[in-house]
Amino acid sequence: MKGVILRICHLYPELMNIYGDRGNVIALERRCAWRGIRVEVSRLSIGDPLDPTSFDLFFIGGGQDREQMLVCEDLSSEKGAALRQAVEEGAALLSICGGYQLLGKSFLTWTGEYLPGIGLFDAETVGGDTRFIGNVAVRCTLEGAEGILVGFENHSGRTRLGPGCRPLGKVVYGHGNNGVDNTEGCVYRHALGTYLHGSLLPKNPLLADWLILQALRRRYDLEALPPLDDTLEEAAHRAALRLTREERGPLRSLRRLAAR
Amino acid sequence: MDIRLALALAAGKAATAASRRLGLGAGSNFPGKVVLRLHPRATEKIASRLARGCVLVTGTNGKTTTSNLLAAMFRQAGLRPVHNRVGANLISGITAALAQASDLSGKPGGDIGLFEVDEATLPEAVRRLRPGLVIITNLFRDQLDRYGELETLAHKMDSALGEMESGSAVLLNADDPLVACLGASSAASLYYFGIECEEVGEGVLRHAADSKHCRECGSPLDFAVHFFGHMGKYSCPLCGTSRPRPHFIAERVGLKGTLGSTVTLTTPAWKTTLELNIPGLYNVHNLLAAAGGAYLLGLDEEMVRRGVEGYVTAFGRGERLPVEGRNIFLVLSKNPTGFNEVIRTVREEGSDLVVLAALNDRVADGRDVSWIWDVDFEELAPLPRVLVATGTRAWDMALRMKYAGLDPARLEVRENLRDALRTALSRTAEGETVYALTTYTATLELRRLLTRLGAAPGLWEER
Repeated sequence: MKGVILRICHLYPELMNIYGDRGNVIALERRCAWRGIRVEVSRLSIGDPLDPTSFDLFFIGGGQDREQMLVCEDLSSEKGAALRQAVEEGAALLSICGGYQLLGKSFLTWTGEYLPGIGLFDAETVGGDTRFIGNVAVRCTLEGAEGILVGFENHSGRTRLGPGCRPLGKVVYGHGNNGVDNTEGCVYRHALGTYLHGSLLPKNPLLADWLILQALRRRYDLEALPPLDDTLEEAAHRAALRLTREERGPLRSLRRLAAR
Repeated sequence: MDIRLALALAAGKAATAASRRLGLGAGSNFPGKVVLRLHPRATEKIASRLARGCVLVTGTNGKTTTSNLLAAMFRQAGLRPVHNRVGANLISGITAALAQASDLSGKPGGDIGLFEVDEATLPEAVRRLRPGLVIITNLFRDQLDRYGELETLAHKMDSALGEMESGSAVLLNADDPLVACLGASSAASLYYFGIECEEVGEGVLRHAADSKHCRECGSPLDFAVHFFGHMGKYSCPLCGTSRPRPHFIAERVGLKGTLGSTVTLTTPAWKTTLELNIPGLYNVHNLLAAAGGAYLLGLDEEMVRRGVEGYVTAFGRGERLPVEGRNIFLVLSKNPTGFNEVIRTVREEGSDLVVLAALNDRVADGRDVSWIWDVDFEELAPLPRVLVATGTRAWDMALRMKYAGLDPARLEVRENLRDALRTALSRTAEGETVYALTTYTATLELRRLLTRLGAAPGLWEER
C-alpha cells in the first residue's frame, strides 16, 4: 500500500500508560508496517495544542488517580473540544480504562472527587468500593469487527451508557462497564472506549484492523486491508479465551479440581 | 514457659518438616499459618527476644538479594541471623522462619531477625516486629491487581514508617524519587544510598518508568541522568525538591555483563573497591542497601567486604546451573523495570543466544500480564537464535516477541515448562548457555525441575 500514511496521535503517553497500554500503539504500528503503510506517531501531552485535522487515529490509555486528574484538567481546555471535533469529522479513536472514563461526561470517584469529562461519549462513571479485576471475554457487536474480544480488566469505576452511544459488546465472562447490565465499552462514530487491556489490540487483531481501516478511510478510498498471517495472534486469542473460561466460566470449581 | 506458645511452635515445626518431606519447600507460608492459628501473637513473642532486634527489607525489586547479602555480612560479623531467606515474605512466612529457629519456649536460636517483607505487609510487620532498621530498595509498578496503584502503596508504607520509634533507622534509595520522599513524618533517623557514577546512566527515560513527577508539587521532574526505570539523579524545577545526598555511595561502577561488576563503595567512614559477582546495575543498588544496612548496625569494612566476596547468588537471581554439559543462566524477571535490566545484562553476552522466556499468570506472579508490553523487548528481539516461550501465558509472551520484531521462525511455543526446557537444551550446543528469563512461579517451577535433573540443590539444602 504505497504512499498511504496513517497519522496516529498518542495522547499523554507518559501519564496514561498504566497497564501496558503502549502495546496497542505497537500493534497499530506493526500491523501497518507489515502492509507497507507508513505510520507517523505524534505524542501529545499536557499543554501541547491539538490540531483536529492533523490525525487519523487517536489513542489514550489508562492512568493512576494523580495522572488522571492532571489529564482531566488539560482536556478541559480547547483540547477536549478539538478531540470531539476530530471524531465528528470521522477520525478513529481508542480509549482504554482511565482514558475512556475521561472521554465520557463525568467521573465521580469513590472518594468524592468530581472529574468532568469531555462528553465525547454519552457515559457517566461512578467509582465503586471494590475493583473489578480479572480476565474478560466480550462478544463484540461492532460492525466489521464482530467476534469475541479477550482482555483483562482492573477498575473501580462503574460506567453507564446513555442513549447517545452504544456498547462495544456484551460481556461473556467478567464485569465490563458496571457489572450489572452486561455491557462492555462504548462506541460513538469511529471512537471506542473500553475497560479491556492485555494489551487489547495485539490479541484482538480484528479490532486493530477495524481501527486502522476506519482511520485510513478518512483520507483514502479503501474497501478493506490486505490480510496478514495472524496464526500467532489467533493462537494467543484462543489460549486467553480458554484461560478466561477456566477462571470465570461455568463448572470452574470442577475444572480447578481436575487441574490439580 | 508459655504452654500455648510451645504447642503452637511444636505444630509449626511439625508442619515445616511435613512440607519439606512433601517437597513443598521450607519457605512456604503454611507452617506460619499453623503457628498463628494456635498463637496469634507468636511472631511478636519470639521476635522481642532477639538480642539485636529486627531488620526489615522491603521494596518491589531486590528484597531477596539485599537481605541475602546482608545475611552474608552478618555471618562474617559472627551474628546468627534468623532469616526468611527463601522469600516467603508475608507475616506467615516470617513467623514460620521464627518458629523454625526457636526452641519450644520461644527462645530464638539466633540473635538478629532479618526479614524480607512484602511491600503491602510492611505496616503489619512494623507493628509486630518493632524493627530497629527498615531498608526500602525501590518501588516499581508490579502486580497492580494485587497491590493496587503505586501511590496508594507508597502512602501505606509512609504511614508504616511513621510508626517507627526514635532511635531506629530507615535506609532509603535516594535514586528512586518515590522512595526517597518516604519517612518524612517518622521518628526514625533517615539515611540514603545512591549511585554517583554517571557513566552507567542512560540518556532516555524508559517506557516502564513510573515516577516522573514531583511528589511535592506534581510538576515533571528534571533528570540529569537515568540509571534504569525511574531511578536517576533528579530535581524538581518548580519547587526545588531534589534527590537527597546519599550516605552510602557507588562512586565507580564497571559492569561486566552476566558476570557482575566492580564497584567502588563509599560510606561515611571508609571507602573500598569490591568485586560483586551478581549482574546488573540493579544489583549495585542491592549492594548499597546491604552495605549501608550493615554499616548502620555497626559492622566494619572487612565484614562487608568478606560478605560480598563470598556471596552465593540467591536462588533464581542470576544463578548459573550446569545441565547436561550446558549452562542455565536463571534469572527472575517479574516486572518491567526488572526485565529491562535483565535484557540489558543479557545483551552484553552477544547474539545468537538461546532464550527461554517463561510467563506465568498465577496469583503470585500477578494475574494480569499486560506489563509485558511495557518491557523493551525490542532490545532483546535481535539476540535470539531461538526463543522458547513457555508458561501459562506462553502465547502472550510469543506474541509480544513477534511485535517486538523477532522473526516468528525463531519462535517456539511450549506451554509445558519441561517441554520448553527440553527444546531449549536441544537447540544449545555443549558449553553454551540457555538464558532463562522467568516470572516468580516459573522460577520456582524451573528450579524444581532442575533440582530433579540434579543440576541445582534443593531450596532448603543450600548452604
